[in-house]
Amino acid sequence: MAAPGDGVGGVCKHHAQQDVCDSRAKYREGRRPRAVKVYTVNLESRYLLIQGVPALGVMKELVEQFALYGAIEEYNALDEYPAEQFTEVYLIKFQKLQSARVAKRKLDERSFFGSLLHVCYAPEFETVQETREKLQDRRKYIAKATSNRVHFVVKKIQEPKKTVSKNSEHDFQPETLGFSAADANTGNWDPSACCPYPYQPSCEFSSRNTACPSGGHFQRVLAFPQYVSNCAETSESFCQSKPLTQSAQQRGYTNTPVSLVLQRKVPSDNGIGRFMPRTTQLQERKRKRDQGNQIDLIGIDSDSSEVIIGPRLPEIPKVDMDDDSLNTSASLIRNKLTEVAVSVPKSSGEKPEDTQTKPPIKQRRRI
Amino acid sequence: MSQKQRDLLELGRLEYLQALVTEFQVTESPEAKEQVLANLANFAYDPKNYEYLRQLQVLDLFLDMLTEDNEILVEFAIGGLCNLCLDKTNKDYILEADGVAPVINCLSSSNEETVMSAVTTLMYLTTPQSRQQTTALPVVECMLRFSLSANRRLSNLARIFLEDYCSPVQVEEARNLSKHTAVGIPLPKD
Repeated sequence: MAAPGDGVGGVCKHHAQQDVCDSRAKYREGRRPRAVKVYTVNLESRYLLIQGVPALGVMKELVEQFALYGAIEEYNALDEYPAEQFTEVYLIKFQKLQSARVAKRKLDERSFFGSLLHVCYAPEFETVQETREKLQDRRKYIAKATSNRVHFVVKKIQEPKKTVSKNSEHDFQPETLGFSAADANTGNWDPSACCPYPYQPSCEFSSRNTACPSGGHFQRVLAFPQYVSNCAETSESFCQSKPLTQSAQQRGYTNTPVSLVLQRKVPSDNGIGRFMPRTTQLQERKRKRDQGNQIDLIGIDSDSSEVIIGPRLPEIPKVDMDDDSLNTSASLIRNKLTEVAVSVPKSSGEKPEDTQTKPPIKQRRRI
Repeated sequence: MSQKQRDLLELGRLEYLQALVTEFQVTESPEAKEQVLANLANFAYDPKNYEYLRQLQVLDLFLDMLTEDNEILVEFAIGGLCNLCLDKTNKDYILEADGVAPVINCLSSSNEETVMSAVTTLMYLTTPQSRQQTTALPVVECMLRFSLSANRRLSNLARIFLEDYCSPVQVEEARNLSKHTAVGIPLPKD
């Protein structure tokens, strides 16, 4: 169907609407069915080609529709472009690439006077200079975006903390609230806890796919464990610095149910090593707690013990088993665990605080 | 909110990308491989994802796919590289990993998108240090041919490459060379 791209006005391969992909895995499905296609700067353009416009003399209406998304520099009908019967093809040139992007997204496959529009980029109408500017704009955009990134990350780290401490003031409803906290939090956890694991799968990968011919890749992969340990170090120091501030301290505790929820969820989804991270993260936190036990106690002792324990207590009825005898056994076990939990830290020093701080830990074990 | 978006929120961006990488690695289906690679290449368009893509070694994944036999995988992989190679860190990484040579190889693909992504990637990878490699004589010669192509997008790109990234001396040299050798890299099919 694609005639050899004979310059301007010709039919190009990338104008054709590709078949929608119907074999995507569920988690990769988008809002709208789409073909499998990779967009690069080369495919984008301020020029949009609009096919399937009914031949009803509706150019004015068409242009008005598109003008909603940004200033239009030029437009004209492409009479020589092969069109389906009773339809016309138009070319619209926006002033800005971003307008063209939005217009394409909004109006492609839109019904227009009873016909479905097909909107695609038409970079072959660009002059050399326009292509040059497009490439330059992308260059500028990336330079700007990547220089801003540092601030962005910093902001992200600070921001979720607030949401969490807010949560700890609420009465805690682990399932729903905890989850939203987790969502808001991903950015927060990532820098500290996630760093060490993403490499793991590629390690698995390299050993599994040894059939793959490229040797260079594996050398590069093999080099990474060093990096991982670096990451682990940084993440550890990150964690260690946390207990110093009290809000961070709270965070560590109030997050616990969240991580539990996640942990419970994840293994059911996929047993593969890719979600190891959560466990790693839990272990990390546990180690942190063990190490900073004393600091922990101080942090909580100062005034926040109520805040932490308070919200947690309502959790207990959740475990209500609807049966007296079961409840009795449950509380027996619970008490046993309290004894055990209390007796261990006792050996490490502080006494009265322990009883206060341990309940959260105890509950975590129980679940 | 769509299922995908909810999943994105649930898993977090990194975990979602991680899931893609894992699926790419474990799947037996060539179709799924193509889809996932396209996904990753499109994620590579947005600078927000660069950090994660680096962590997941997606740059290596793209580079590896350049030498695949499957044209579609090559097209998506070079598209992905084209999308992320402007970032300084990514650029350095690709240059460090000897990524220029496989990108140059893509110039002789019969797939026009592959060729165009490769031309743009070479432009974006050109630094004072890498210039010698990215504008080697055979490349310049190739661009001369592309600049005469009937495909306007390709000829535009090739002209920009010749005008902005090569010195007049280089172009002249390549021009003289191509006079003598009739066979060059074939133009991409449409």
